[in-house]
Amino acid sequence: MKINVDEIFDVTSFNIDREPHIVLDPQVCVGCDQRGCTNSCPARCYTWSEEDQKMTFVHDGCLECGTCYVVCHRNAFTRWTYPRGGFGVSFRMT
Amino acid sequence: MKRSFDAIVIGAGPAGSSAALTLAKAGLDVALLERGSYPGEKNMFGGVLHRLTALEEHFPEFWNQAPLERHIVKKSLTFLTEESSFNVNFDTQASDRTPYNGYTVYRPRFDRWLADEAVKAGAKLYCGCTVEDLLREDGRITGVKVMRDGGEIKAPVVIAADGVLSFAAKKAGLRRPAFDPAQMAVGVKALIDLPKEVIDDRFGLVRDQGASNELVGCTQGVRGGGFLYTNYDSLSIGLVMHLGSLSESGKTPYDLLNSFMEQPQMAKLLKGGRLLEYSAHLVPEGGYDMVPETYGDGILVAGDAAALCIVTGLNLEGINLATHSGTLAGQAAIEAHGRKDFSKRSLSCYQRMLENSYVMQDLKLYRRTPHMLHNDRIYTQYPELLCGIMDEIYRIDGTPKDTMTKLLMRTVKDKIGLKNLLADVYSGWRAL
Ligand SMILES: Cc1cc2nc3c(=O)[nH]c(=O)nc-3n(C[C@H](O)[C@H](O)[C@H](O)COP(=O)(O)OP(=O)(O)OC[C@H]3O[C@@H](n4cnc5c(N)ncnc54)[C@H](O)[C@@H]3O)c2cc1C
Ligand code: SF4
Ligand code: SF4
Repeated sequence: MKINVDEIFDVTSFNIDREPHIVLDPQVCVGCDQRGCTNSCPARCYTWSEEDQKMTFVHDGCLECGTCYVVCHRNAFTRWTYPRGGFGVSFRMT
Repeated sequence: MKRSFDAIVIGAGPAGSSAALTLAKAGLDVALLERGSYPGEKNMFGGVLHRLTALEEHFPEFWNQAPLERHIVKKSLTFLTEESSFNVNFDTQASDRTPYNGYTVYRPRFDRWLADEAVKAGAKLYCGCTVEDLLREDGRITGVKVMRDGGEIKAPVVIAADGVLSFAAKKAGLRRPAFDPAQMAVGVKALIDLPKEVIDDRFGLVRDQGASNELVGCTQGVRGGGFLYTNYDSLSIGLVMHLGSLSESGKTPYDLLNSFMEQPQMAKLLKGGRLLEYSAHLVPEGGYDMVPETYGDGILVAGDAAALCIVTGLNLEGINLATHSGTLAGQAAIEAHGRKDFSKRSLSCYQRMLENSYVMQDLKLYRRTPHMLHNDRIYTQYPELLCGIMDEIYRIDGTPKDTMTKLLMRTVKDKIGLKNLLADVYSGWRAL
């Protein structure tokens, strides 16, 4: 028994909105000295590629916890809201 | 949607539903707005509901009415290292009698039930309804704008019960625009399926008795702790970690949770289980010093939105404070209706009610605790110290043993230093 966040859709339900509720300005991340979002996000939505010097953000498996919102000290977000009503993560019994 | 109400409550969590229930019972027309497709869909927590005295007034036999899992009769604190654990148990017959002192629950079920009770009392619940902004007239909050269709809902008083990030409190200018990662923690949790009989056996429980266990030393040096709670036929296991510390550590919450579940003593308790759900949520851990302004012109703030949460390492109290503050916010709004005055001055009665209740009094009492918990020795050295001492006491290997004092002094010197120990005991004593 192990949590594999790459297969998060097996253990957590989502109703994915095509319109992302979090939008990042990846340019800000290029100059970031910490990138605490990459390790702190419980759903691994942030991936930094050292090779391409590029930040990728995927909103699909976002647990709407707010960690990135608090951890990012450079306010890299052009948008940070909860998903529209009815969309996003859906906990059944946690 | 364009409508007017006597009051609007943002968020159908425990704080919001308690507020709506209070208002509806007083005969006021109240809208309860929830962004989830049902109340509780977005909400998770560790799992222990402490006694909710505010709700017992509405539900005299709370334990027969709410959808509860088990009532807690055993509480323990465990110090964990990679291979050993040292456990302190508290077990009392008094907790096995009504009114019970605490229960395990599932949030999607519990929150839905409480919101339904508010609806039964007359509140209007709108799900799938995310509040996007506040409406203002002459600097006073007069309603909200919802995301769905840009619709506007009006009321002379708005109760912000929208949880830890409270964008409503931010938009009203009541909380600071940015959070301090040192005042926040993130919780990650795995729900593990296990038959009731297996749980009863492993934890020594009968009937609907439950156990709660807080753990220290399971976070690989990241400030924080673990929990393990018994539901009727599942276990809740998880970690709560300070954001500043987690972010700096470079470690990930799921790797840490996986190692925690693989620790030999934990693995034994979870053996044979199947992962049912994985979830995460923030906790406002800063305590009293983090509490924002709780009232403004036409607005009140309750529950996590007002950072009303107490984290001591022995307990995590949130729902009890949320339901209590929600109830008080409802009462304050009712009083304001009586005066027909929704100004900041009129709504300040809410702050006084909070100060007179255990909510603010307990927060003040534990004011120093968040600071005390920023001591890295707690998370590795103390668990190692305690397990090390126990190991020496019990180990029989043919060498003569030290006296207890000698053993203690030597281990303390090795692992912590006497000065540090005394300082920690002192600050721990003052904080708890
Ligand atoms: C890991 C973890 C473990 C915990 N363990 C415990 C424990 O064992 N015992 C305990 O008592 N407490 C515990 N807590 C704390 C407890 O969960 C909270 O204190 C409590 O949920 C606060 O209730 P609330 O109603 O204020 O906020 P919430 O429960 O967060 O409810 C807020 C509601 O508002 C809704 N909402 C948010 N924004 C909007 C918007 N813009 N429009 C419409 N709706 C919105 C949300 O969907 C949600 O339903 C724990 C918390 C965590 C994260
Ligand atoms: S912390 Fe903020 S700026 Fe830095 S990488 Fe993450 S999102 Fe980008
Ligand atoms: S809200 Fe939480 S889960 Fe979603 S991207 Fe941010 S850190 Fe990850």
